[in-house]
Amino acid sequence: MSDNRPLRWFLYGYLALVFTFVFAPILFSVIFSFNSDRFPTIPLGSFTLKWYQTVWNDPDVWEAARTSLTVSLSTATIATLLGFATAYTDYRYSFRLKPIYLGLVLLPPTIPLIIMALAMLAWFAKLGISGQVMSIIIAHSVLTAPFAMAIIRLRLSQMDPSLESAAWNLGASQWSALRRVIVPFCRPAIISSFCLTAAVSFDEFAISWFVAGLNKTIPVIILEIVTGNIDPQVNAIGSFVFLVSMTLVIIAQVVLMTRRKKEV
Amino acid sequence: MVAPLVEFRSVVKRFDDFVAVERVNFTIEAGEFVAIMGPSGCGKTTTLRMLAGLEAPSEGEVLMEGRVMNDVPAHERDTPLVWQSLALFPFLNARENVEFGLQMRGVEAAERRRRALEWLDRMEIAEFAERDIASLSGGQKQRVALARSLVIEPRILLLDEPLSALDANLVIRMQSVLTKLQRELGITFVYVTHSQSEAFAMADRVVIMSRGHIAQIGSPKDIYRAPANRFVAEFVGRNNIITGTVSKATAKAVTIDGSLGSFTVDLGQHEKPQKGDTARFVVAADLAQISTAKPRRGSAIACSLISEEFIGSVVTLFLEAEDGSELKVQLQERELSKMDLKSAATIYLSWASDQAHYIGAD
Amino acid sequence: MSDSTPAKAASSAARQSSVFKLTFRLPIIIWQSLFFIGPLCFMVAMSFFIVRNYRMQEDFVMKNWLKMLGRDYFWDSYFLTWGLAGIGTVVTMLVAFPAAYTLAFKVSETVRRWAIFMLIIPFFTSYLVRIFSWYVILAESGVINAGLSYLGLGPFVMLNTKFGTVVGYMTLTLPLVIILQTFALANIDKSLVEAAFNLGCRPFRTIYRVILPMARTGLIIAAVFCFILSFGDFVSPYYLGGSKPPTLPILIVDTVKSGQQWPRAAVVAVVMMVTLFVVAFAGIMAAYRRRVG
Repeated sequence: MSDNRPLRWFLYGYLALVFTFVFAPILFSVIFSFNSDRFPTIPLGSFTLKWYQTVWNDPDVWEAARTSLTVSLSTATIATLLGFATAYTDYRYSFRLKPIYLGLVLLPPTIPLIIMALAMLAWFAKLGISGQVMSIIIAHSVLTAPFAMAIIRLRLSQMDPSLESAAWNLGASQWSALRRVIVPFCRPAIISSFCLTAAVSFDEFAISWFVAGLNKTIPVIILEIVTGNIDPQVNAIGSFVFLVSMTLVIIAQVVLMTRRKKEV
Repeated sequence: MVAPLVEFRSVVKRFDDFVAVERVNFTIEAGEFVAIMGPSGCGKTTTLRMLAGLEAPSEGEVLMEGRVMNDVPAHERDTPLVWQSLALFPFLNARENVEFGLQMRGVEAAERRRRALEWLDRMEIAEFAERDIASLSGGQKQRVALARSLVIEPRILLLDEPLSALDANLVIRMQSVLTKLQRELGITFVYVTHSQSEAFAMADRVVIMSRGHIAQIGSPKDIYRAPANRFVAEFVGRNNIITGTVSKATAKAVTIDGSLGSFTVDLGQHEKPQKGDTARFVVAADLAQISTAKPRRGSAIACSLISEEFIGSVVTLFLEAEDGSELKVQLQERELSKMDLKSAATIYLSWASDQAHYIGAD
Repeated sequence: MSDSTPAKAASSAARQSSVFKLTFRLPIIIWQSLFFIGPLCFMVAMSFFIVRNYRMQEDFVMKNWLKMLGRDYFWDSYFLTWGLAGIGTVVTMLVAFPAAYTLAFKVSETVRRWAIFMLIIPFFTSYLVRIFSWYVILAESGVINAGLSYLGLGPFVMLNTKFGTVVGYMTLTLPLVIILQTFALANIDKSLVEAAFNLGCRPFRTIYRVILPMARTGLIIAAVFCFILSFGDFVSPYYLGGSKPPTLPILIVDTVKSGQQWPRAAVVAVVMMVTLFVVAFAGIMAAYRRRVG
């Protein structure tokens, strides 16, 4: 490509600007969480941990953290199991209604959350299971199973297709081939899928807010604080959520990467 | 009478509309080294997979030692396969790979380990037992795959183009490893390949397949010297196939007239063709002779030299006959050096009358 | 691979393998029917229910539809949502393009991979917290205006404006759009672009005549996703856009949270779904349409 130096530097600068836009809110939220002013601006106030202390001493936050943890771990388990089963089905079998089958699995993320939230709220009320932690878990599993499916399916497509047949050929039944070959091969993808679905669930607020009833998750608490007034507690909680999510994402990424390196 | 180790009885395999294998019949005896050979898509791998139970025949029966195997699932057969991709489990090390089949058969851990190490040792890769598969070389992986299949002490070993990923030197090495192994173990090897050099170098018997049919079964020499039909003659290569119409036919010989001339060929085992039928015969390139003067006796075709190709001490000459068809002849380099082809305007390709092999119409 | 299991065995083995097959196929079918198709269908049905004495009763009346579609404020909301999501999509696509272009053509493979990894990070940070952060940054006495005041500029009103809403939308969509655009561009055969330059095509002309047509499918898909996300978002127009007049998602939230008028919220949701379905369908048609001329 024609080497146009000024253009190149202009583009790099532009890229930096775009990344600044993307990361500014994250960065500022972390900075503000240590800032003493209730309404932070520049110049910044003094360094403080008081927002963290407030959050730490708030039993509602603890309760919400427990709920969030329960929800995200349960969601991750269900979504990963469903995602694995679906990915394996797609990998191994072909059948007439497969496009519909895949549509059923992959469509949820394309429906706006607010619509899913309303639909779930009404449906759970109809079934008589609204306002429970279980309702959030179910809703989040529907939402995140497609991600699990995609991650594990991708891994399966990297597998030598004769690997499973080789296991049968050596005397493994379908079940033991699955346990001894497919699952070990997919292990990194299963771990990533678990982490990523947990992280998505940990951050989701619209559906949780609608169906949770009195069982608030962390994002719902944030939503309620934000609706109330300007309160830098949000930044403290937000930084905490960010820490948890990023840990999960990085674990997922590292697991995927090291595996890849080993196999090259 | 003892039933053959393997028998295919009018086996058909269809995938949707595509017929991969069409009415195949053959038997394999215990202790044989059989190669199934043919171009890609001829049904050779499908045939092998049916033997391993990885595909179910659409029609017909696959028998082993007289027992119909159609309904026996893959994991209940002792028909280990060495895969083209080797299909070693990347998350297990070499020893664990070898142990896999034993583990599935419920052999307890210590015994498993002992037998796996014994086989790795036999394959001369004992030192790599605890290595990751990814860190092994192509040849080492090949040996792990063989050990993994043989450790369960099968009576038959299936091999699906296992050498296709190796470079030429290693292929020759592994060929001798395989033939030696087969002789020592005395078990049956069924070896699928598209390479005739591999098939001819190792097999006692070769099954040649084309479009789902068996084109010929025979020893390498049979196939080479007496191809049953045009497909085999062309696939084996190094053959001059001469086509014409029958002008005279007796019970023993037939005269074929074509654009290259009129030739009389022994019928061999073939049925007597009708006058006017299309007929072909084959003259193997290495059985043909050339001379600069027209031979006094026998058949000869006048040609001009197009090109020559040296492989070691063997030279292949590509010739063009007067009607434009290409012919080839193979001879030793030192024979060639005695002749002065460059100055000769015409080269005559000839053969002793018993060296022409009649192959009928197709 | 064919549907039949490798060894189509005697009936017991066949039964076993169909048990195996269904163990993996059925769970998601049951789960999604019960908790994905079920809720959506019920929501459509609910839009025909009736509310009496603050209690919802199952019925089949057109009242909710007539009531909602007959009101100006509903249509104001509808077109406002369209307008905001439309502007948001155009702005996001335009802002993202040079960045994606740079990532696709001007940096090494490693840098590209890292950049995409970085762009995934925001998906796992709380969107709410980021919006709250913008609220503080964009406020009249916030970081930006404080900074500008040193230059003797401002203060500018950025909150409770369409600008605020679009900034919020971009917080949600920009990383995704850059990623999708980068993939779309990176898949282009580079030699064709070079050929265009070689033939004396000037950069902007090359982008217009060569790159855009070749990346069309990917770019349209990015735009469709961007539109769907913006159209369905209630946080940005609420907190950064001032919520008045409300967008459709805000209408849903208000209707649900301030009473028992779920059926009317369902009407809004169904209208949104139909709209997005049409947009997505049109987008897909445009993306895969054969080029004419």
